[in-house]
Amino acid sequence: MNSAAEVRQESDRHATKKPFAAIFSRPEIGPIGVMLLLFGMLGYFSIPAAEDTWNPFAGEGFNALGIRNNLRVISQLGIISLGAGLLIIAGEFDLSIGSMIGFAGACMAMTLRWGFAILIPYISFDGGIHLEFFTLISLEPVTPITAIFITLCFTLTFGWLQGFIVVKTGLPSFIVTLGGLFFLRGLTEVTLRAFNKKPNQSAGSTTVTEIPDIKNIINLPGHGEIERQAAKMLPETELSDLAKSLPADLVAKITERLEYTAQRVADAKTGIMEAKGVKPLENALENAINSKNEYMINAIKDKIANFKINPVPPKDVTEVDIAKAYLDTLPSVNQVANFFGGDILEPVFDWLYFPIDWNVNNFGNQFAPGLYSCVMIWVLLSIICYIVLSRTQAGNWIYSTGGNLSAAQANGVPTNKVKISLFVFSAFCATVFAACQVFEVNTADAAKGNLKELEAIAAAVIGGIVMTGGFGTILGIIVGAFIFGLAKEAFFYIPGIDGSFYRVFLGGVIVLSAMLNENIRKRIMGNI
Amino acid sequence: MSQTLEIPLIKTINLAKKFGAFTALNGVDLEIYPGEVHALLGDNGAGKSTLIKILSGVFPATSGDIQIEGNSVKFASPRDASDAGIGTVYQDLALNALTSVTRNFFLGRELRTFNNPFGLMKMKEMDRIASAEMAKIGINIADPEQPVGTMSGGQRQTLAIARAIYFGAKVLILDEPTSALGQKQQMEVLKTIKRVQQLGDIAIILITHNEIHARLIADRFTFLSLGEVIGSGTANDLAGDDIKTLMAGGTEIGDLAKELEAV
Ligand SMILES: Nc1ncnc2c1ncn2[C@@H]1O[C@H](COP(=O)(O)OP(=O)(O)OP(=O)(O)O)[C@@H](O)[C@H]1O
Ligand SMILES: [Mg+2]
Repeated sequence: MNSAAEVRQESDRHATKKPFAAIFSRPEIGPIGVMLLLFGMLGYFSIPAAEDTWNPFAGEGFNALGIRNNLRVISQLGIISLGAGLLIIAGEFDLSIGSMIGFAGACMAMTLRWGFAILIPYISFDGGIHLEFFTLISLEPVTPITAIFITLCFTLTFGWLQGFIVVKTGLPSFIVTLGGLFFLRGLTEVTLRAFNKKPNQSAGSTTVTEIPDIKNIINLPGHGEIERQAAKMLPETELSDLAKSLPADLVAKITERLEYTAQRVADAKTGIMEAKGVKPLENALENAINSKNEYMINAIKDKIANFKINPVPPKDVTEVDIAKAYLDTLPSVNQVANFFGGDILEPVFDWLYFPIDWNVNNFGNQFAPGLYSCVMIWVLLSIICYIVLSRTQAGNWIYSTGGNLSAAQANGVPTNKVKISLFVFSAFCATVFAACQVFEVNTADAAKGNLKELEAIAAAVIGGIVMTGGFGTILGIIVGAFIFGLAKEAFFYIPGIDGSFYRVFLGGVIVLSAMLNENIRKRIMGNI
Repeated sequence: MSQTLEIPLIKTINLAKKFGAFTALNGVDLEIYPGEVHALLGDNGAGKSTLIKILSGVFPATSGDIQIEGNSVKFASPRDASDAGIGTVYQDLALNALTSVTRNFFLGRELRTFNNPFGLMKMKEMDRIASAEMAKIGINIADPEQPVGTMSGGQRQTLAIARAIYFGAKVLILDEPTSALGQKQQMEVLKTIKRVQQLGDIAIILITHNEIHARLIADRFTFLSLGEVIGSGTANDLAGDDIKTLMAGGTEIGDLAKELEAV
């Protein structure tokens, strides 16, 4: 049987693939190229006109504040793209993500503001037939963790229900979650209006405001739990006393830091005033050059060269300043609110300001306090999703459920469970997104999250997820979110162009990516 | 070849299946022995697929008995059948073309570090086993990370067979494994079947419409027609011409009329 001819196997023909070609057949390679292009565009176009440089990292897109703001947009989109993308890999869609964000935000904000109760209605016959309510549970006030938990109960159940309907009826998830999109948005608006309605109004507003800034509540001896901002507004005598009560080395450290800031601010002011003073001279110089008056040109040039103003003296550091700076260092009492809505990497950004001298704005103050916490949440979720999808049994089940449903079922993969779990995960991601928003801005609005489901799907597609399922990677989804978030910023900075062109650009990128993805999929399926 | 004296691995006794008023199988007796290729032959609609679907637990028999190594069994699901050692390779092979050989080999039964779907897969070990198992029945895959979509039809068949065997199939059921393949690929599959047979302890039920294939590798034949066994025997018992006529199910006009009536 084993003749020499048999040594050469059909499969050996695949082994000749070059490593170079292997890199280029990776599904993420195209998106990564586009991402790098956008990075370059953002950096290059955001270089201030005054700066004479080609270095994109000198651009406003890459200064501390630019990084902070861009990463926030990208990571928020990234969070929901993970849910949407995994679901698409398993062969289903979720169009309810955007509405789920609005619903979850409203639910969280309402419980934080008004508390939570479960009422059981019943018909009472005392004094005529009417409806009465039996209060089963009543919570007030509700802590952030409880608000998130209550919200998750609703959103995850809804996600489960959508998944359940899809797998039991066999209806396309497009339709089922389209229903979810309208249902949830409507429910959110109706509920908010009802709760906000004042007796003299016909309809209430669809926002929730007046939630305390929970992430910034600190514990100040003598005052208990107090908002950071309110603590800074305490009478000056009290703040001075607070400063006096601090240990000497801490005071020294804060003072050094404040003096550094005062010096930076003073320098910046001097610079600004100098520029202001030189400006008329420069105008005059231009006139002189135009009128070709040699004498005047030289005289004015001389004046400009010798122009000096007295440097602005740095502001004195007072005890009140020290107390305020100290209040900024106190940790949040509520770490849950801080986890979702606060900042991260503050020590790094502090260090970048003092002593690195990079994180400085035009007025000499620290530019960005840190990154938004949602960046960390995105990173955490991405790592978890990456491990699950590419390294675990669950990941193999997700791929096979979307790649060949009947094959998965024939091999004992619980495909219905896989799908329902991913609908639930998608709802979870939307809820996390909402939590980040609510605890950051302390308001909710029924319109929040509008169109986010489509952005999430777009990011996934741009990142190499195939719409028919079974194909794609977490790295791709991450890159897709980067592309989507960067495009808007990059186009904003291109001079003389309408910012909305980013949508035109993205529209093209989406279709091109889909074509590319389909091509790769066919190549793998052996159809090319 | 094997002796007929030993107990059959699988034995069906008077197995019948009715779909409503329609009798798909009408009292089928079948004996399958280890180390043998048992060709199940018959015309379209004879009931071959129905028979193997009962054996693989897709649906229950209406009446009759299935015995595995002498013990009566009842299958409530395909899982039951595969736990009892009956591995079925369906025509569509149940493979996910978009993922790798290894991922397909272990689909649904991945080796994992914790006894939990979120436990990490032991990818290295799985790669090694998948390669080794496929090599055993004749295919050296260069790269277990290769997507199944890039493999030939014969290789995919081999993958599905190797998988069934590795996960404990004592009886391997192949429903028309060569029907969608070109000549060379058909030969690959036949070689694979031959190698499985040479392993000695596995019984193979092969359904085919190809007389030459059946003659080439089958040790024992059962002919079905209109839901009944119309002939059976070992390769030595049956002369060449018998096989051809029996495969066509006797083709009397009267039988055809009966069949048309029933449909
Ligand atoms: N689920 C079912 N419901 C009703 N009738 C069925 C069902 N499955 C099969 N049949 C009928 O039973 C008969 C036998 O079908 P079966 O698929 O077993 O034939 P087969 O021998 O495999 O034919 P082929 O060679 O074409 O694959 C056919 O007439 C078919 O129409
Ligand atoms: Mg059949």
